[in-house]
Amino acid sequence: MVFGRSKPSSSTPSPEASTSSASAAACSELRAAYHECFNRWYADKFAKGQWNKDDCAADWHKYRACLEEHLEDKHLRQILLESETSPSYAQLDPNSSSRQGSAPSK
Amino acid sequence: MVVYTQEHVYRHPWDRVTAAAWRKFTDPASRTALSHVADVHTLQRRVDTDAGRLHAARSITVRSPPLPFILRRLLPAAAASPSGAAICHCVETSVVDAPRRAMDIVVRNVSLRGIIEVEERSTFRPHPDRPDDWTQFRQETTIRCRPLAKLAAVAEKVETRCAERFLQNSAKGREVVERICRYLEAEAAGAAPSAV
Repeated sequence: MVFGRSKPSSSTPSPEASTSSASAAACSELRAAYHECFNRWYADKFAKGQWNKDDCAADWHKYRACLEEHLEDKHLRQILLESETSPSYAQLDPNSSSRQGSAPSK
Repeated sequence: MVVYTQEHVYRHPWDRVTAAAWRKFTDPASRTALSHVADVHTLQRRVDTDAGRLHAARSITVRSPPLPFILRRLLPAAAASPSGAAICHCVETSVVDAPRRAMDIVVRNVSLRGIIEVEERSTFRPHPDRPDDWTQFRQETTIRCRPLAKLAAVAEKVETRCAERFLQNSAKGREVVERICRYLEAEAAGAAPSAV
């Protein structure tokens, strides 16, 4: 179990069913609302040249607040919490050492 | 280390293909095809309304294929499951530059980095021959096992197995994007089928 409120109570790892985590369950409706808004806005406006307005900011803030409360995995939490403070997350090459050619190599 | 590249031409315009790419993991009808994906969350997003740029980071929680016993013993308890598969979090960072019609995606694992590092870089661009009708997709995947000297032979097997699995999943991902493109095309034509 990687995220979720309930810790495994015994030494046996949780079954695979538990991968639909508590954070997913708690935030699923807000996530669905955000996705619906985003998918429509992206397809109908942003990708077609109307990028002057972000239609889904309100839905995103609600969804994000829920994740902030329920997301437990520490790596993912760190990324979530960075979002409002650091504008640098968007860089695609934080530790890029991999600019090799294409063919399989050693 | 294993590096491989793939290319694909979508016979759909860039805006439709990238819209489909966003839906790939969240579309309910894709769950069966992409059954290795357990969960997806958006962790960061920013829209630059002046420059027409969209930045986003999503977590993608995946189930690995069953691992060899010797590697299972190396897994942190949190990542292990009884079947010998591992639960692994990846982070997907995307940048869409709408004026340039460019979408760049990088996926990296954040779990299990002590054992394996996977990086998948993808780009979607208008196809040079038919920029308004077709979209060129390119993907480069790098898989690197950490140097566990005594396990070098096992590590090599794992790299190969991961590479095979990534290729399979990548092909499934393209099929899903193709299907969503057809759905969006029908929807735009005012005749959206009730089921995707």
